[in-house]
Amino acid sequence: MAVEVVLPALGLTVEKGTILKWIKKEGEVVKKGESLYEVEADKVTTEVESPASGILKKILIPEGIEVPILTVVAVITDPAEPLPEKYRSMEILAPPQIQEPLREVTPVSFEIKALPAARRLAKERGIDLSLIKGSGPGGTILLKDVESFILRGVQTGQKVLVTPTARKLAEREGISLSSIKGTGISGRIMKADVMEAKVLPMPSPESKPAPAGIKPLPVSKYQLGQVIRMNSMRKVIAKRMAQSKFTAPHIYFFNDVDMEKLLTLREEIVDEWERDEGVRISINDFLIKAVALTLREYPIVNSMVSGEEIHIFQEINIGLAVAMEDGLIVPAIPKADQLTLIEIARYRADLVERAHQAKLTIEEMERGTFTISSLAQYDITFFTAILNPPQSGILTLGKVEERPVVRDGQVVIRRIMREGLSVDHRIIDGAVAAQFLQSLKKKLEKPYYTFMIR
Amino acid sequence: MTKMRELTFREAVVEALDIALERDPKVFLLGEDIGYYGGLFQATQGLMQKYGEDRVMDSPISESAILGAGIGSAIVGMHPIVEIMNIDFLPVCMDQLVNQAAKMHYMFGGQMKIPLVIRTTCGAGRGGAAHHAQATHAAFMHFPGIKIVIPGTPHDVKGLLFTAIEDENPVLFIEDKMMYNLKGEVPEGYYTVPFGKAAIRHEGKDITIVATMRMIHKALTVANEMEKEGIGIEVIDPRTLCPLDKETILHSFKKTGKMIIVDEGNRVGNFGSEVASIIAEEAVEYIQAPILKVTAPHVPVPYSPILEKEFYIPNEDGIRKAIHKVMEYA
Amino acid sequence: MKYPKSMLLEMLKKMMEIRYFEEKVVDQYARGAVPGLAHLYIGEEAVAVGACMNLTDEDYITSTHRGHGHCIAKGGDLKPMMAELFGKRTGYCKGKGGSMHIAAFDKGIIGAMGIVGSGGPIAVGAALGIKKQNLDRVVICFFGDGASNEGATHEAMNFASLHKVPVIFVCENNLYGISVAQHRHQAIKDIAIRAAGYAMPGVVVDGMDVLAVYEAVKEAVKRAKSGKGPTLIECKTYRFRGHHEGDPNLGLRYRTKDEIEEWKKRCPILCFKEKLIKEKIAKKKEIDQIEEDVKRRVEEAFVYAMQSPFPKPEQALEDLFA
Repeated sequence: MAVEVVLPALGLTVEKGTILKWIKKEGEVVKKGESLYEVEADKVTTEVESPASGILKKILIPEGIEVPILTVVAVITDPAEPLPEKYRSMEILAPPQIQEPLREVTPVSFEIKALPAARRLAKERGIDLSLIKGSGPGGTILLKDVESFILRGVQTGQKVLVTPTARKLAEREGISLSSIKGTGISGRIMKADVMEAKVLPMPSPESKPAPAGIKPLPVSKYQLGQVIRMNSMRKVIAKRMAQSKFTAPHIYFFNDVDMEKLLTLREEIVDEWERDEGVRISINDFLIKAVALTLREYPIVNSMVSGEEIHIFQEINIGLAVAMEDGLIVPAIPKADQLTLIEIARYRADLVERAHQAKLTIEEMERGTFTISSLAQYDITFFTAILNPPQSGILTLGKVEERPVVRDGQVVIRRIMREGLSVDHRIIDGAVAAQFLQSLKKKLEKPYYTFMIR
Repeated sequence: MTKMRELTFREAVVEALDIALERDPKVFLLGEDIGYYGGLFQATQGLMQKYGEDRVMDSPISESAILGAGIGSAIVGMHPIVEIMNIDFLPVCMDQLVNQAAKMHYMFGGQMKIPLVIRTTCGAGRGGAAHHAQATHAAFMHFPGIKIVIPGTPHDVKGLLFTAIEDENPVLFIEDKMMYNLKGEVPEGYYTVPFGKAAIRHEGKDITIVATMRMIHKALTVANEMEKEGIGIEVIDPRTLCPLDKETILHSFKKTGKMIIVDEGNRVGNFGSEVASIIAEEAVEYIQAPILKVTAPHVPVPYSPILEKEFYIPNEDGIRKAIHKVMEYA
Repeated sequence: MKYPKSMLLEMLKKMMEIRYFEEKVVDQYARGAVPGLAHLYIGEEAVAVGACMNLTDEDYITSTHRGHGHCIAKGGDLKPMMAELFGKRTGYCKGKGGSMHIAAFDKGIIGAMGIVGSGGPIAVGAALGIKKQNLDRVVICFFGDGASNEGATHEAMNFASLHKVPVIFVCENNLYGISVAQHRHQAIKDIAIRAAGYAMPGVVVDGMDVLAVYEAVKEAVKRAKSGKGPTLIECKTYRFRGHHEGDPNLGLRYRTKDEIEEWKKRCPILCFKEKLIKEKIAKKKEIDQIEEDVKRRVEEAFVYAMQSPFPKPEQALEDLFA
């Protein structure tokens, strides 16, 4: 009966060995226990004994080849026995190449510090821990912080904005400031708020009975349909939009701009500029420049509210709203009033490209002092926008379309764009906004004048 | 109704061994100086005189032989109670303990039982220094196959010793040598205290303290103080490290959310580290404060009384500090 | 000869069982069927067989990492032994012990210890237990020349002699503590002289001669059972294989081919076979018959082990009490 000769297990650590020499040759008679071949493994040479007596019928692994332990290296048969079929076509297999798996580097991010017990409670109640300020050592959110957050049903922790009079009143009446919702600037608690809190207990949302005769719809958790957790970008957008809308009273202005000359100008230069400068200038680039120049004339539109002060920004940095797959970001071109059109075009192209690659720096996204939001590529005539806090103005652009207009007593077809301006009415009056928009319109309608000299 | 009287921890040990020798002819004692001398700590006082040299055997100073004699005779049917004078000497016969006694039942596929009790002592406080005073009980938790008993009261030491003798597997029975003179109520006669059942020595709602052996009593002193300050401390005595009553510890912790472990072992790989790990694995959502260990520092036991008592042995002050730190999170 | 023929043939059969069992292990280890380490007893068969021929199932032995021979000589069944080596559920220790840790408690085999010198104190303990229960039994503690330098061995001898417990220390001096030759690990030639230090008899015997071992142990058993205490018997022997399978070239890093060949000429089985034929106690045919029978039973054990199931992973937690 044929007996397989293997490269033997050679102790605990050996995994493979090289056959150095066949002591016995094919066809030779071998006795059990006689040395058959020499193997080198881990720098040690070992003679391997024959596992059986018979004829060394076939050597499967020649000298100089390294194979894993337990590989069949030869076959011993009885003298008269032919080599079994399965060994005849046996070939040496190349050892498999082991590829190092690529290791992904996970970026480190530091999360909110909160005790596990606090996390559990917050999770149970669906509370965003970022809304809670920790009172424990190093600002760690404690269990009690979450508990009091739930009890009050409002945002605790954050510094409460309150007028001195309101604070005194609240202290006198023993009303917790954190239980009062402020109606003043940035949610500042006013005297009236405290007085109201004193009189009116907080209504409980669950206690409202259904009107008689109306069968309340059964409330099921499935009613919600799909639940989408906000990603971090969405959370930021939601927070900022709400903050802006409920803090700054917005007013809106619109006018129509005759884009004929500007479009003609662009059409005349765009190809040659692209050839010479390597960047294709867009209508937006003209708009950025024009807005920047107009802001220079109306610095109040390039400003922010800070408490009871108005801070005029030193720089004119024009943010450009860039729609992303799951949100929107607003990278800004710095000092746009001082840049040439080509420089603006280069900046704009670069920022938009990197925005889509998520490669913008925080500085690039936060430096804006005024925003332009364009939906010109959609079939949108005009729209209103919510201010991008802490900015006080935002310009909206609808699509350019051919419209019949009257020029010199004649109805003519012109390419018209409707632009809109939203401003913070706390600091920008209607007349100022109207003048701003009018000045901008003029610049766009006299492009040679506007862009040639500046 | 069993009659109670006050006995010292040491007297409770002697009484338990006496009853065990009386009850079962297969029980015998073997150890260094346990016969004529009555044990280094007098915990076998008078037993040789009562039962003779065959049943209370003075042994050569040969820890491996003592433990091996215990293992071998247990396998063939005896109920040996061997004594290794100090836990510091166990490393001398570590092989017999952790490779043989602990593993034989398992590695031989459950073929034999080893009803062996290994009594030893631990604890600093008498100038024992580096080789006669360490509290290394936690180290043995690492080895599957050894039950570990750490009695904390005279009542328990007697009842747990009977349970250890009844057990058919190796039991490491550790007596805190600083507790031998501690007095407490001890029932007369035979009774057992089960393994794996912790005792709540003091109830409280704010912090759970798991304390071992002598440290239980230090924790109780502080718990009583804190009660006046309005801080409720729950003091748990695990009684046995293996099996460990995780349930009682976790139940208390889920209530308080705060845990301090007070244990005389050195700081690294301390019993408290295991408790903290259990909490991290099984009750992480309940953690309300850092889990603190009050332990001996990570140094060998120093000799000078100043070093030993003021620095090395965990004390009430350390427990108080830990409580205050934990309460910052309350 | 003064011995009954049946006993002599039993001795031969046992030695052959050990030899063929282990040759199967050689082959199967090389083919990867035996996980872990395999320390083989080939060459030393006369010691285990000569010693254990004096014992009944009630007597005890403690064994070592090189324990297959002790186990077979003491009556261990080849099937659960082979299965244990293969890590199978049907092994003596349910696949938890392996080659170095075989125990068969029903045959008085307390167990094989993988730690050199560990068996001494436990054997002495078992003997102490025998003495305390007034049982008519003895314990044999097998250990090697390497273990003769371990502290635990000396503690055990001192204790045993002090309390005159019925234990016999059978030292298998195979001349190497793993790879370190005796003259490089101890200053003495005869380990038996250490008995004097414990006031017990120390005997040197030819460990390749099964009858010499038998006689020496017989005397020691008589002494132990009469309450006179332990005996140290040093058996000069030799392992034909390396320290364990995989020791390159059967240990040629630390010993010579000539030395191995010289000892092989004194093969305990070969010599005993020749002796039986020469002294006309048994015919060659009779012996061949025994040999064929042994080979067949080893093959059966191998098949049994191969076909046995492995333990289930969760069975790793069986027999655990703490």
